[in-house]
Parts: sequence; structure tokens; C-alpha cells
Amino acid sequence: MIAVLSVLSILYWWLMAPITSWLPEAVDKAQQIDSLSRFLLASGTALFIIVVGYLLYFSFAFRRRKTDAPDAIGVQIHDNHKLELWWTLIPTIFVVIMAVFSIKIWAGIQLGDNNGMVVEALGHQWFYSFRYPDVHGEITNEMHLPLGVPVTLHVSSYDVIHSFWVPDMRLKADMVPGIINTLRFTPTRPGRYQIICTEFCGTLHGEMNKQYVVIDTPQAYKKWYQGWQQKNAHASDAIPTQSSGAISLAGGDVNAGKMLFTQKCSACHAIAPFAHKVVGPGLKGVLNDPAHPNLVDGAAATPANVAKILQQGYKGDMGQMPNQTANGLTDKDIANLVAFLKSTK
Amino acid sequence: MAVAAVHAGGIADHIHPEPQGFVRKYLFSIDHKIIGIQYLITAGVFLVLGGLLAELIRVQLMNANGGFMTPDTYNEVYSVHGSTMVWLVIIPMLTGGFGNFVFPLQIGARDVAFPWLNMLSFWLFPPAGLMLYGSFLMGAPAAGWTEYPPMSLQGQAGTSMWCAAIFLVGVSSTLTGINFLVTLLKMRAPGMTYTRMPLFCWAQFVTAPLLMIATTALGAALAALFIERQFGVPFFDPTKGGSPLLWQHMFWFYSHPAVYIMILPVFGIVSEVFPTFARKPIFGYKMIAFSSCSIAILGFMVWAHHMFTSGMAPFLQLPFMVLTMLIAIPTGIKIFSWVATLWGGKIHFSTAMLFAIGFIATFTLGGITGVFLAAVPFDLHAHGTYFIVAHLHYVLVGGSLMGIFSGIYFWYPKMTGRLMSEKLGKWSFWLFFIGFNGTFLPMHNMGLLGMPRRVAEYDPQFQTLNRIASSFSFVMTIAILLTIINVLYSIKKGKRAGHNPWNARTLEWQIPSPPHYYNFKHIPSVFANPYDFNEPLPYRGLEEELTDSPAPMGAH
Repeated sequence: MIAVLSVLSILYWWLMAPITSWLPEAVDKAQQIDSLSRFLLASGTALFIIVVGYLLYFSFAFRRRKTDAPDAIGVQIHDNHKLELWWTLIPTIFVVIMAVFSIKIWAGIQLGDNNGMVVEALGHQWFYSFRYPDVHGEITNEMHLPLGVPVTLHVSSYDVIHSFWVPDMRLKADMVPGIINTLRFTPTRPGRYQIICTEFCGTLHGEMNKQYVVIDTPQAYKKWYQGWQQKNAHASDAIPTQSSGAISLAGGDVNAGKMLFTQKCSACHAIAPFAHKVVGPGLKGVLNDPAHPNLVDGAAATPANVAKILQQGYKGDMGQMPNQTANGLTDKDIANLVAFLKSTK
Repeated sequence: MAVAAVHAGGIADHIHPEPQGFVRKYLFSIDHKIIGIQYLITAGVFLVLGGLLAELIRVQLMNANGGFMTPDTYNEVYSVHGSTMVWLVIIPMLTGGFGNFVFPLQIGARDVAFPWLNMLSFWLFPPAGLMLYGSFLMGAPAAGWTEYPPMSLQGQAGTSMWCAAIFLVGVSSTLTGINFLVTLLKMRAPGMTYTRMPLFCWAQFVTAPLLMIATTALGAALAALFIERQFGVPFFDPTKGGSPLLWQHMFWFYSHPAVYIMILPVFGIVSEVFPTFARKPIFGYKMIAFSSCSIAILGFMVWAHHMFTSGMAPFLQLPFMVLTMLIAIPTGIKIFSWVATLWGGKIHFSTAMLFAIGFIATFTLGGITGVFLAAVPFDLHAHGTYFIVAHLHYVLVGGSLMGIFSGIYFWYPKMTGRLMSEKLGKWSFWLFFIGFNGTFLPMHNMGLLGMPRRVAEYDPQFQTLNRIASSFSFVMTIAILLTIINVLYSIKKGKRAGHNPWNARTLEWQIPSPPHYYNFKHIPSVFANPYDFNEPLPYRGLEEELTDSPAPMGAH
């Protein structure tokens, strides 16, 4: 019965497991990796059923019964060389098969040529930026890729170690400062796929999952790419950190600001008195608090100075706050946020 | 100390007198049995603290957007949780605790080779624990128990304290390794050949060189990190010419063998518990001993399988992948041998046996997922996710901790002279087994579907699975508390055990419980390995051992 169960489990996991309905396969490499995963899951489950099956069966069949004498002993055998040879040989053969299968898939993934379209992804605390050939500067919202075109993705980091993982691609590479790691793949399924950081990178590591890889049809990709090219035509190659110049605060919408606050700020700040620290201080009445007349950078707590911190971010002894780019805030968003903060008393 | 031979009570050998003052007897003791118990108690306290931190983690993860702690506090909590469990609970319990107490008795020695060094080893350990927990006052380490730079270079002042604390534990481990190795090489009783040693001794014999060699690599890495943090010498900071990967190589060169430091002694415990309660010789004694050796050697050659996504030449991944898979073979031999030991037995389901059987089931699962992760293509997907969290807890909680509990229920009567409550013990086992699997089984799914590890908040699609895990974790906590209550309750109220409550055949069970200060009145001679239940005991020279048994603990 144990053998039947393990064979059934092999059949299920290897042939029928609906892995792709749990997690789509967005690139060619995902299909290769899934074929190995099916094999591993099938053989692993079978082995587990055999071990635990016999463990339970022997525990039940050879339990001490009430009728046994208190000093009853079991069968006094020490070993059985034939049996031991078999359970050394069979796992060895099995490990060899597994190693060969893994190496075959590994070669398909790691040993491709480098002639795909080159895109670069860079890790920051706590967002990703992307660089494309012939586009000035860096793009920070989504990363677009054309369907069916081989991609060579180089990843690295500006600060600490991050990781670039797209579960639907089954691929991952750490972004190590000073080192360039490479992933090669061909997108095979249009869609929008979450990018997740899996190497701990500081306070907001858990928030570093809000950007996406978008796989477009070649036409849509071309349109998107040319849009960026034109938009960044006059940008320098430096990282676009924030809009330049002071932000106009006229016409800030309190309700829109409130909604933005829950989305973008509430991970670190509460609408509560100053002393209610989450990561940063509570911000209730930040513009009307006589006990704390200054902001973190020492400037007076005025709407213009609050807008400046939202725009440029802050980094210093008191901690750090992401800038406008990292938070994905437009100038209008900042005006709305300031209006909302002003309304809290 | 007075070096006088005691001739009273028919003791002919050269024996130091037992110290009488409380301080020298229980505090700064050089007796391996007291030191072993000191280790177990201290590590037990840290188990409670580390478990408390684990529950804080599970409470935080009840909600997708966290909210119970700030992300920074959460990072400190799981980093100290991991460091505690690895360095202050599992390693000290298995080597310092059970190793110290059990194996000198099993090989018929009066103490370890260097008793004073042994005392030093122990006394390096509580200060290290205080330093680790003291780091909460100055900002605890927050980059996980692995403390990868450059993240750990940004950490608060407590990260340096963490370096110093783990360095101390490392020195303690290294000294223990040297001590145990010399003891096992030089102090076995006459006739105690390598093929007659109980398998627990074999496990310690193989673990000792790992402790000695691997830990020094960790010490060097920690010293470098400390120097870089405090004095700015750039070992790891890439902006100054250092290499973040250097740390990862040095850290895993220690921490992969450390996985075997945390599991080989458990293999030893299970290899003692199985024959005793199945009333059968252990199946394949030589293969179990031999496979321990090959695991230890292979264990030094696989460290970079923790770094498949970190960035290394692709061809370097191949040897690490294949060597890691090879470890499945000796591990499989062990597991099959234990299962075969049950065949034809007369199995007595004591709590110790239940924990040992439960160990086989959960460790097998953890081992199988370990082989998955050895395959580079699978690891590219699963690395750094909750799948890893599930795998490592199956190995270290379902493996090491269940083995530790089995050992506690098994040797407690020898340590105290009293039995633990079997009824409470069985409750503890079943709650633990259910709670453990309920907590960590769902984490496999979370990881494969896209939940990264070390996050204070997560995608809402994982909230149901996380709530299941958190709920079961409370069951597991209750189970651990039951065992702790059992340990404390039984010191005074437990039934008297007599010298050999389990009818076990290794040497430690042939002398009184608790043993005399000098262990053996006469060093016995050994004629065979201890596992033949149909033969008389293979020892000579034990006739006078049971003539005057010390009172059990808590007796008035």
C-alpha cells in the first residue's frame, strides 16, 4: 500500500500538478525550472511517503502489547548487508539522476549567450530603478519588456544588498553593490508581474514589492519605449531624484492628501501626537505644534519646508525618509499631502 | 585544591574529593555533570526568551500590514531570535549540555580531559547571552542572524555587541570541541574500542572537530566585522574596496558545518533512544557511525549553496550543487537504519521515544526540501523566501529541538534521580507535533507563491496562511511550556527513577542516578558494544557501583 501511495504521488506531482494555475510562467526559463520542480516534488513526496509510511507501520505493528512480558525484547538482528547495499545504491543512483537533470536545466538557464537586449535594474533603499539603452537617466515606476525578445538583465545596487525576484519568472539574482549579476530569459506571456526584494535591506524591506515587470506586445513596448526616450531626451544621465524648484502648494486637496497618506506615509508615520513614533514621529498637527516648531532638518515647520522634505527626502542622524521619486509622488501629490497635514490639528 | 586520594568506601583509584561549598560545587564547578546541567539550564532560559521573540514575530505577522511593532523593532526581534536559537540554545544544549553530561559517562571516564577548560567554556556562555540581550538597550542587531554587510555596517551600536557576543560563544565552542576530542581519544575505559562506543559518543566525536575548525572561521569574520564597524577598516564595504561577498563566504564556511553541529548530536540521541525503547540492537551500527563521518567531511565542502543567487561564476555552482546532493546519501542511510531498527521490535512509546519518532518524520521532510534547494534552478526561485524559513525550521525545530526534547525525557532521570511525568510529556509531544507542523507547513506554500523572508508586512494574499501559522505557533508554545513545567515539577515531585528506569544498556545507566561525583568507583572494562539485548551486560568492574546511591534531587 505504501508503494501504491508513493507511485500515485509521483504520477500526480510529475504529470498533473497545476503549478501554472498557482503561478503563471512568464518567461521561457520558468517552464524549464518548473519541469525540474515537478520532478523534485514527485520524487520527494514519494520518498517521504515511503519513510513515514514504514515508520508508522512499524510503530503500529511492533508496539509492545499488554500480553508481552515486561522484559520482552525484539528480534536481535544487527544489520543486513544486502538491504544496506540496496538502500545505499538506490539513493545514489537517484541522486545521480537528480544531479544530471539539475545540471541539464542549470546549463539551459545559466549558460546562454549574452546577445539579448540589455536592460539594467538597480536596487535602492527601498525601490528599483531601471536603465534602458538609448534612454537618458533612470526609470523608476515599471519595467517594460517586449514579448518574445531575448533579454539580458544586469542587476546591481546603489547601497546595500537587494534582490530582484519575479516569482512568475522563477528567477532571482541578488543586487550586490560593486558586482553585476546577470539573468537571461525570453518573455513568453504578456502581463504585469510583481518584483520582490528577498534580501533584507533595511527598515522598509517589506515594502519593496510595489514595482512591476510589464511584458508588452512588441508594438505596445515600442510605443512605451519611445515615450520614455522623448520624455527623458533632455535629462542628464544622473539619477532623477526629484523635480527641481519649489513646489506650488496652491489648490491642495485635503481628501486626496488623506488617501495618499494612508497609501504612502502610514507605514512610517501615524496621524497621532509627535511622541507616537512608528518609524518616524507622529505627524498630527505637525504644522500647528508649538512644542515642536522645527522639522527634522532644523527648518521651521512651514508648509513650504514640509513640501521640501517630501520632495528631497531626508537623510541624517534622525533616520531617513525616501524622496519624491522613491515614494512615487507627483508635485500635485505633495501639494495634496501638505494640505492634508495642515488640516490635522 | 587538595590533591588527596580518597580511600574510603573501597575506592582504589586516584580520585579528587568532592568540593563542598555551594560556589565550588554548583557555580564554578569543574564536574562535567554539573557543567552539563548548567549549560542545559542556561540554554533553557534562552529558549524561553528566544521563544518569546518568536511569538512576537508571529503576532506581528497576523496582519498583512503588521502594526504590532514598528518595522525596525520587528527587524531587531527576528535577528535576536535567530541568533539566540542557534548560538544560545541549540548548540549549547547539544554539545555543552548533553555532550558534557552524557558522553564521559558512556565511555567510562571520570571527567573530560580538561575540567578547568570546561568550566571556562561554560562561563564564556552566560556573559555572551547577556551581551546579546543587552544590545536591545543600544539598538539591537537588525540584519538577521546572518548579518550580511553592508546592511550590518549600517546597523545600530548593538550590532558590534552582537559580534562580540557571538565571538565569545565561538571561543567557548572551540574550547569545548578540543576538550571533547581529546577526551574521546584518550579517556575511553579499557576495552571501549571505537566500534564499541555508543553512537551518541560517535556523534560527539564527529561534532568536536567541526566545533574546533569551523568556528574559527566565524571568529575571524566576526572580528573583521567588528573592526570595520568600530575602526573603519574596510573589509566588506564595497565603496571603500571591500567585498560584501567575503563575509558571506566566511560566514557560511562556518554556518553550514554549524548545521551539522546542530544535528549530528541529535542523530546520536535518536540512536540511543531507538534501541532502548524498541528493545533491539541499533540497525547498521557501523553504517550510522560511518555516515556521520562522511556527513561531517562533506559538510565542509558545500557552504556556497547558500549563495547561489549572490553572484559567483556559474561553473562554481556545479560542485556545490552536486556535493550538497551527495549528503542525501549518508543521511538517507541513517534514516533507513532507524526505521529498520523499529522492525521486529517491542516498541515502548515513552515520551522520549515519541519525540524521537516525531523527529524522523519532520527531519525527513526538512531533509528532502534541503535536496530541492541544492538544485540551483529550484533555488533560484525559492532562495530568500518563506520556503527557506520552512526548510530551516523543519531541520532545526522539527529536527534539533525535538531531538533535544527526546534527550531531556531520556536522560532527566539520570541527571536528577527522578522520572518526569509521562502523562504531561505525552501532552507536550502531541501539542508540539501538531503545533509545529501547523506553524511551518504553510510556510512552504507562502514562499513558493511569493512571500519573501524577513518582512514586517506582506502582500495581503498571504494573510490566511500566516494566520494559520500564527495560531498553531501558540499551540507549540504551550507544548514547550508543558515540558518546562514538567522539568521543574519533577525535580521535587517526580517518582524516584532508580539507576536504570529504561533498562538501557549503555554505561551511564549502570551507575547510580544521579551519579557520584567521581562517576565510577572503579573504571569498568568493556567487552562488546552495548546494544545486544539478549546478552548479559558487556562490562566488568561495576559490582560495587550500586552499593551506596546518592539521594535523588529534591529529597529531604
